[in-house]
Amino acid sequence: MALGRFLLKRGIQGVLVVWGVVTAVFLLRFITPGDPVTFVAPLDASAELRAQIAAELGLDQPLYVQYADYIVGLLRGDMGYSYLRGTEASTIVLARVPATVELAVAATVVAVVIAIPLGVISATRRREPADYGATLFSLVGISTPNFWLGIMLILVLSVNFGLFPTSRRPIGLFETVAFLVTVENGLAAPMDVGAFLDGMRTWLWHIALPAVTLGTYFTALITRLTRSGMIEELGQPYVRAARAKGLPESLIQYKHALQNTLIPIVTVLGLQLGTLIGGAVITEAVFSWPGLGTLVINSINVRDWPLIQGSLIVIGTGFVLINIFVDALYAYLNPRVVH
Amino acid sequence: MISPRTLRNLRSELSRSLLAKLGIAILAVILFTALFAPLLAPHDPTNQNLDNANIPPLGFTATENQTSSEMVDGEVQIVEEEVVVNTTTAHPLGTDSLGRDVLSRTMFGARTSLLVGLFGTSIAVVLGVTVGITAGYYGGRIDDALMRFADVMLAFPSLVLAIALIGLWGQASLRIPDPLVAFGIASSEMPETIVLPGTVIVVVALVNWVWFARVARGEALSVRDQEYVKAARSMGGSDLHVILRHVLPNSLTPILVLATIQIAAIILLESSLSFLGFSGAQLSWGFDIAQGRQYLSSSWWIATVPGLAIVAAVVGINLIGDWLRDALDPGIEGQGGAP
Amino acid sequence: MTDLLRVRDLSTRFFTEEGQINAVENVSFTVEAGSVLGVVGESGSGKSVTGLSLIDLVESPGKITSGEIWYNNADLAERVEGDQPEAVDGDFVDLRRLSAAERRSLRGSAFSMIFQDPMSSFNPSITVGEQIAEAAEVQRRASANPRSTRSRTQGYGLGKMLLDGVLPDRSYTSEESWDRAVELLERVGIPDPAERAEEYPHQFSGGMLQRAMIAQALAGDPDLLVADEPTTALDVTIQAQILDLLADLQETMEMSVVLITHNLGVIARVADRVSVMYAGEVVERGTLRDVFDDPVHPYTKGLLGSVPDIDQPGERLEPIPGNVPDLVDANMPDRCYFADRCPKAMTDCLTRPPEYEVSDGHRARCVLAEREYSEADAVPDERLAGPTDDGAGPNDGSRAPDESTAPDAEVSDD
Repeated sequence: MALGRFLLKRGIQGVLVVWGVVTAVFLLRFITPGDPVTFVAPLDASAELRAQIAAELGLDQPLYVQYADYIVGLLRGDMGYSYLRGTEASTIVLARVPATVELAVAATVVAVVIAIPLGVISATRRREPADYGATLFSLVGISTPNFWLGIMLILVLSVNFGLFPTSRRPIGLFETVAFLVTVENGLAAPMDVGAFLDGMRTWLWHIALPAVTLGTYFTALITRLTRSGMIEELGQPYVRAARAKGLPESLIQYKHALQNTLIPIVTVLGLQLGTLIGGAVITEAVFSWPGLGTLVINSINVRDWPLIQGSLIVIGTGFVLINIFVDALYAYLNPRVVH
Repeated sequence: MISPRTLRNLRSELSRSLLAKLGIAILAVILFTALFAPLLAPHDPTNQNLDNANIPPLGFTATENQTSSEMVDGEVQIVEEEVVVNTTTAHPLGTDSLGRDVLSRTMFGARTSLLVGLFGTSIAVVLGVTVGITAGYYGGRIDDALMRFADVMLAFPSLVLAIALIGLWGQASLRIPDPLVAFGIASSEMPETIVLPGTVIVVVALVNWVWFARVARGEALSVRDQEYVKAARSMGGSDLHVILRHVLPNSLTPILVLATIQIAAIILLESSLSFLGFSGAQLSWGFDIAQGRQYLSSSWWIATVPGLAIVAAVVGINLIGDWLRDALDPGIEGQGGAP
Repeated sequence: MTDLLRVRDLSTRFFTEEGQINAVENVSFTVEAGSVLGVVGESGSGKSVTGLSLIDLVESPGKITSGEIWYNNADLAERVEGDQPEAVDGDFVDLRRLSAAERRSLRGSAFSMIFQDPMSSFNPSITVGEQIAEAAEVQRRASANPRSTRSRTQGYGLGKMLLDGVLPDRSYTSEESWDRAVELLERVGIPDPAERAEEYPHQFSGGMLQRAMIAQALAGDPDLLVADEPTTALDVTIQAQILDLLADLQETMEMSVVLITHNLGVIARVADRVSVMYAGEVVERGTLRDVFDDPVHPYTKGLLGSVPDIDQPGERLEPIPGNVPDLVDANMPDRCYFADRCPKAMTDCLTRPPEYEVSDGHRARCVLAEREYSEADAVPDERLAGPTDDGAGPNDGSRAPDESTAPDAEVSDD
């Protein structure tokens, strides 16, 4: 099938890009001033001890050997050991993935759910108050730095009104869902619905502000794109033809015009994915969210190379995967790409 | 370079669009403030005065817990009392936790943001246009190699890349003597140098040049096959001559529009980096927001005022970008990575 | 023959930045049941806007400003009479006085329209079959619940669209409508209709797509099909096939057709009656025979004169000199709009001519219907140098958003 071949091609390209990212991340350490041993060894370490540490970390090998070892390790899921914590880097990094994914998905959901109807309303009621409101919102939304927005939300909603927590989140979505699928002694235990609902409430309560913070820029951007796209599509001859055959206006707007509007929106969103991930890093920093972003920042501050490399590679790979997903979505929405 | 028709389009779009006028007005105010900050600011923005810390802006009140020790009957007693902090016209927007004037800091912060935006974008333009035109003009393998490299660059979230590069390379600052102070126009109490985060400038350019490369390449590709360019080449015009005379002028409009949008994106990026503490700039909106974040529950204005300044600056630049895009219609998509 | 539609003094205007544009001005005509009315005119004569006005598809900044459109439908008349007796006259209903929802509900079922460019008139990202099935589905849902206008505006919101994306089976259309779509495609002569229905518009040729658009327009079994330049975008050989198809369908389905074209050959081939439009007005109307064999208006004569005669190939074509006025209200002169291009302009033409009856059913908006041309009354050219002419050149953009292409009149293809 054409779509399958298309995805295969994108998959191969994606693997190449991931390889490029891995290589770049690996080389990053060599263009960075400072010897990693300095950060690991005690301050008063003797030359022998330093050499011993370097050997343990494999830093005494020639570059290409280290590179080959690193690639082979990665293929086995081994990212080395954290310099500071001594545990496997892959475990630490992967443990952080769910929080970031939850945040990014929640923000995207917030953005899509708000922005698309807002954009459609704005486009179909041009020069009415709703349109001016949506335009103003999208203008300010794309111009507001999300860290500041997050701080302001905390200031107003958490500090002043106490509506949302300021504390670090106690539970993730996966732990929450786990209440429903607990297994005891190899048998499915009774579902703990009460704990699940409590967990969901806590989870939603904690993710609300971060999701809005990260999602606002995208809400504004998608509102803008939806509005201009809808205005353009609603002027197309096929819309007039659809009206001529008696279709209800809501069907014309949502099924016909909006579907064609989504094509350029998906394209631009594909280009903006880096912004989503970058934004997630900052949002995590503002809300002490236990995701990859805070891990990257903390690891860079202490030069914990295996963690830096591991989290950057996971971020890069995730980015490539979402890109492929976006391409598939694009092909699905726009049959001309495949046929 | 800029044809009369272009100017006419700009003018007619400007006369039609209230938002474009608003954008120009906002940016003019901010530019004026940044240029003459040493003349306009009421205080030295770096001047600390702990006696005047945490003064609220005019029209607001704040209370503060003050601890003092007294000798009562030969014993030291710690007295804690709530005092009302009075506003003062000397600090119309209040002071921060070290008693520095918020208004003055915000005015001087405009310089950092605008200069980083301007320098960063300039480097990105030069780099991107050089690479893009080379790739598009010569085509073939050079093109393939450069564009694959660009894809890998784009495959990485710019903020994460910037954090990694700055975190690892360290913070170099760029010091420029302030001409207003040096020539004695402004009070000598003002800071003598403008301190810019040098690494940030380089890094934001490095993570943003790809957008310019893509646009320039597209233009070069389309111009390369035009008859007049072929004619110029066949008459023995050197490649450099053809590029400077024909290719470059044609790329100017889309580059200009993209550069405007990118300045906004870079200002946001710079403030994010300063907020995370990676930039090293001590006089920057992002830095002040990070400072104010710690006093959010008692002194909300410290983080609020510089944030509003960022929003205003970015709204203004985005409005101008919209104006240019509507008037010049360069057909570019996406807007680079705003965090 | 009974009348299906009686249009009285219909005016449609566009309110643009350049000013008010009188795209259609006081147009009257009648469409008989089961017959073909040809509407002919140059670009910018208002004929397309007339067609759009008939099925209430004039879009902002355009608006029907006055006139009556009486539609012969006993059922509708009975239904409307209770609420709006003033909108009913015997079996006729004045569509202009109906509610917007009511008018919308007549689209597809009572009136349908096909357009010039089939490629852009289909949604590029939905299969042809699905788009035809939609048209059938609207009618199916309406007839399942005829009393409710709600079934017409069947809410299809974001939620349903997302659901459609996730579960393609749950689309708006039903299997029944899909079968009807395939049947319609077969009816309009598309081979392998079941397979073609699954294809997207870009996989169709122009001619096939025009057939599909006709199929789509027939989905609601309309009484009237408005065909706006249905053959203009097509190859000459395909044009003839499409016209034959239209004629065939019109006859077997007993519907009326309003055929809008600048091509006199097309009119001659299929029309029963003809309305000639110029500058937003009907300048001459009557049976095909009346208008083609015995034209009164110099404009009609000019149009006919600019068609090459196949029997006398040597004879030179005579294009009508000058341009169609731009229809901007402020520029329209207070005299016969055609006077400054008219070879027979007389002093009488300096006032606006009424519609004269030439013979029964044959009318012309020209004094020549009443009197002979005389040299003595000829108007000197400078009297006509009004605001519209003086070689203003081709008017750009200020014209009503009507057809964009087309020379004055074209070679007929048969």
